[in-house]
Amino acid sequence: MDVAWTMHTGFGSWNPALWLAALLIALVVALAIRALGRKDYRKNSAQTKPFISGNEEPAHGGGHIPASNLYWGFLESMKAYYERLVPLHTGMLGDYLVWFLGVLAAVLVIGLVI
Amino acid sequence: MNIGNLIMVVVGTGAMALFGIVAGLFYMGIDRVLVARMQARIGPPLRQPFIDMAKLMTKQNIVPANAIPWLFNAAPLVALASSISIMLYIPLGSFAPIFRGYGDLILIVYLLVIPALAMVVGGLASGSPYATIGAQREMVTMISYELPLATTIIAFAWKYAQLGLDNPFSLATVAATPIWSQVGPLGFVGCLLLLVTMILVTPGELGKIPFDTPEAETELAGGLLVEYSGRNLALFYLSLGVKAIVLTAVVVALFFPYNLSSYLAMSALPARLVDGAFFLVKIFVIMFFSVSLIRIAMARFRITQVVDVYWKYLGALSLVGLILVMVDSFIR
Repeated sequence: MDVAWTMHTGFGSWNPALWLAALLIALVVALAIRALGRKDYRKNSAQTKPFISGNEEPAHGGGHIPASNLYWGFLESMKAYYERLVPLHTGMLGDYLVWFLGVLAAVLVIGLVI
Repeated sequence: MNIGNLIMVVVGTGAMALFGIVAGLFYMGIDRVLVARMQARIGPPLRQPFIDMAKLMTKQNIVPANAIPWLFNAAPLVALASSISIMLYIPLGSFAPIFRGYGDLILIVYLLVIPALAMVVGGLASGSPYATIGAQREMVTMISYELPLATTIIAFAWKYAQLGLDNPFSLATVAATPIWSQVGPLGFVGCLLLLVTMILVTPGELGKIPFDTPEAETELAGGLLVEYSGRNLALFYLSLGVKAIVLTAVVVALFFPYNLSSYLAMSALPARLVDGAFFLVKIFVIMFFSVSLIRIAMARFRITQVVDVYWKYLGALSLVGLILVMVDSFIR
């Protein structure tokens, strides 16, 4: 098979057009399987209410969940790391420049040694 | 792309879809029987996952009132279609990948993210508190297992780039040049550590115990799948079955690419059949050690423990594996 638009990196390769074509065909297969199933349900009935173990559903707009909650498990597990890292982000340009120069110097030293 | 290529893509994708779905459901059945036997139960028949699928197709396909309908319905389709598309980049037995030369190991790592992201999107689109928590946990689990998975893939990519082979990142190249014959004692130990890492990344990718925190039936009543029913739920189950085959096939291609036909004097067709059967056995063995045995022996981790296991312990283990493979290459 010889297909245009293949990107070669010298180590590997990938062809986005070919993947998209395969994805579209796979989507058709998935749609065909889906079409075998039952389509109906009772709209606007109790079965369309969210399952919350019998609890009352909170009023819409009554609560606000910040996006950072998405990563709660990660932030909690890495708390020790973030407790040190967050205070370093002072918001002052001078501090960031010092960090940038420090890391650049370290990379240069490591690069020269290796 | 000419007509011949198009026919090749259509037939190849259809064949991979059929193989992935049938083999995925079959291995789900084997897993359930084995787990039942280890718990001293008789368990369901092997065909139970097929019966479950048929039953789900007869159930109502409820779309919750709070859901975003088009996203809610699209997520299972994308999950299944993207899982099937990855099959085209993986060698199966002595059959080279259908898309050989058009995708490499690094691409597979990226494509593996799509089914998991589709589940996250589906969960968030459900408009359910349980599903939202499940989606949040799926995101965190995904971030967690990416580190050891990426480190393992980097180790392989680095090693094969060092060997000076053509297309070193190609899975077909990796399968044709088994890693064990390319490393010394230190590299051998490093590869063993990478194998352990991949074995433990697999249940996380598949959301199996002890890494099933996003679903957590007893806690979140199914988590990100809680609002799914009928044909939409069936598609998610099918995508998990296909993904199980994808992941185990990747482990086989990376670590156990050997074929029986190379040791037996056989003509072309019987050799293909024997290699195909041997490939299915290898998948079964990997599935047994990475899914069945682990899920029977352990309880569910909390989400913070999932991060600990993947980022701290397996991250360190895979890094040691990578370093050993590199040191081995330098001193050889």
